[in-house]
Amino acid sequence: MTTFLAILRRDLLVSFRNSPLLLMATLTQPVLVVLVFGNILPRLNLVADEFRAVMVPGLMSITMLMAGVQGVLMPLAADLSGSREVDERLLAPISLPGVVAEKVVAGAIHASLAGLLALPAMIALMHRVGGLEVSPRWSVLLPMVVLSGLLSAAFGLTIGSNIQPRFSGLLFAVILGPMMLFGCAYYPWASLEVLGPVRYVFLVNPLVFMSEAMRMAVTPDIPHMPLGLLLGGLAFFGAVFGTLGARSFARRTIL
Amino acid sequence: MSAVLTVEDLVKVYPGRRKTPPVEAVRGISFVVESGEFFGLLGPNGAGKSTTLGCITTLVRPTGGRIVVDGLDVVRHPAEAKRRIAVVPQTRNLDRDLTVREVLTFHGAYFGLPRAEREARADRLLAQMQLTDRAAAKPLTLSGGLQQRLLIARALMHDPKVLLLDEPTIGLDPQARRLLWDTLQGLHRQGLTVIMTTHYMEEADRLCQRVAIIDHGKILTLDTPAALKDGLPGGQILDLLLRAPEPVEPRLTALPGVSRVERVADNGDADGEERLRLFVDPADGLLDRVLHAVRDAGGDVRHVSLNAPSLEDVYIHLTGKELRD
Repeated sequence: MTTFLAILRRDLLVSFRNSPLLLMATLTQPVLVVLVFGNILPRLNLVADEFRAVMVPGLMSITMLMAGVQGVLMPLAADLSGSREVDERLLAPISLPGVVAEKVVAGAIHASLAGLLALPAMIALMHRVGGLEVSPRWSVLLPMVVLSGLLSAAFGLTIGSNIQPRFSGLLFAVILGPMMLFGCAYYPWASLEVLGPVRYVFLVNPLVFMSEAMRMAVTPDIPHMPLGLLLGGLAFFGAVFGTLGARSFARRTIL
Repeated sequence: MSAVLTVEDLVKVYPGRRKTPPVEAVRGISFVVESGEFFGLLGPNGAGKSTTLGCITTLVRPTGGRIVVDGLDVVRHPAEAKRRIAVVPQTRNLDRDLTVREVLTFHGAYFGLPRAEREARADRLLAQMQLTDRAAAKPLTLSGGLQQRLLIARALMHDPKVLLLDEPTIGLDPQARRLLWDTLQGLHRQGLTVIMTTHYMEEADRLCQRVAIIDHGKILTLDTPAALKDGLPGGQILDLLLRAPEPVEPRLTALPGVSRVERVADNGDADGEERLRLFVDPADGLLDRVLHAVRDAGGDVRHVSLNAPSLEDVYIHLTGKELRD
C-alpha cells in the first residue's frame, strides 16, 4: 500500500505540474462546443433552449472520457516506449495488479477533476443566455463522477495497452469520435424510444451510461435511464475494461 | 560465504506468434553467486544474458527452473525478492518528468523509506555520484555517463543486497566507462554483491571475480578470468592473417610448440584471406617456423600478432566465433 500511494503521489505531482497543458487539452473542446451550441446558436434561434440543458451532462461525460483516456494513455505511451519507464514501477515491491490499479486510480482522479471543472465552466458560459435548467445534485453527482472516472480510466488502459502509439490518430477518428456521437451526449437515451428496439444497440457504448449518469445528477428534470440499468452498465463496462486492460498491460510488460 | 543468488536449470522460451517460431532464449542455465561476489555474465548479443537477468529481476517469467534471491523464490515471492535486488537496466529508464533529486527520493518512497531517511540518502548518493550540482535538472538533460551514475544512485536508494547491471557501459565514452568501473569496484569493496552482463571481454576480465560465458542460452564455462585463460592450450596466442592456395592447418599443427590451430570464422574478409589462431608455447625460432610453413604451402602471411591470452581468446576457443558488438 505504501508503494501504491507513493506511485500515485508521483503521478499526481507530475499531473499537477503539467496542469495548464492538461486543462487546455481537456477543457478546450467542451468549452468551445458550449460556446457555439449553448450560447451563439440559441441566440440566433437555431437551437431550442432545451438542447442546452441536455448537452451539459453529455459534455461532462465526454470531457471525462477524454480526460480518463488521456490520463492513462499518455503516461502509458512513455511507460511502454523504448525507454520502458514502467520497469521502475514493476521493480518496486508491488504486485502487477497493484501497478495496474494505480494507473486506473490516477486516470480516474484526472477524469473526475476534469468533469467537475467542466460543469461550472459550461454553466458560466451559458448563464447569460438565461433559462438554463441545470441544478446539480451533489450527493448523486459525486459518486457518479467517481464511477464514470474509473470507467474512463479503465477504458483508457485497455486502449492504451492495445494500440500502438502511431495509431493514436486513428483512435480518435475511429473509436472516440463515434463513441461521442452515439454516446447519448447530445440527446437523452429515453428519447431514443422513437427508434424502437434500435435504441438498445446504443447500450454497447459505455459513454451512454456515463452521459445518463451525469444527466441524472445534473438535470434531474430531464428523463434519464433507470438507475439499475445505469449502475449496471457502469459496473459492467468498468469491470470488462478493467480486466481487459490489466490483461493486455501484463502481456505488454512482463515477458 | 553464503549464496545470495541461486539459479537452477533456468529455461525461458518466448512463445511464437503467427509467423515467428518460439525462441529458446535460455536453455538450462544454473549458477550460484556468493554474497559479496562480483559476478559476470559474458556473451554476445542474443546469448540469453538479458533474459537471464530479466528472470532474476521478475520482469521476465521463467518457463522452467528456479531462482532464489537471499532465500526467496522470485516467482513465488516477487515483492519481497524485489526489495533485495536493484537493477541498472540496459535502456536508461529514468523518470523524465521528475528532477534528478526526485528520481532518487521517489524511488525511496516506492520502497517505503520514511521521508527523512530518503532525503538524507538521496543527498548522500548525489554527492557520492558527483551529481549534487545537477540535482534540480531533468534526467534527460544529463550526459550518458551522468545518467548511468544516476541509475546506479537510484538502484542504491533502497539499500539492496544485490546490484544487477545489464550492459552498463554500452554507449559510454572511455573516460565515463573508466569512472563507472571505479564506481562499481568501490561499491564491491564496500561489500555489495554485483552481477553484471557485458559483451566486453576486457571489462569482465578487469572487474569480475568469476565469469560465466554464455552462448545460445547455455553456460559454456564458468570460472575466474585467470583460470579461464590458464585453461587455454598453449601459453600465448599467435594470430595470423594469411592467404594460401591450400589449407595450411595440418602443416602448422605439426610444428613443435604449436598446441592447437583454430580457424576463426571470418565475417567478410575480402580476397580469400583467412584468419588462423595458433595456441603456442613461445620458443626460439617458433615464429620463423610458422612463417616458413605457410610459405612452403605457397601461402602469404599478411599480418601476425603475438599476444597473451585474453578472455576473448577463451571465448573464441569455445565458440569458434569472434565476439562482435
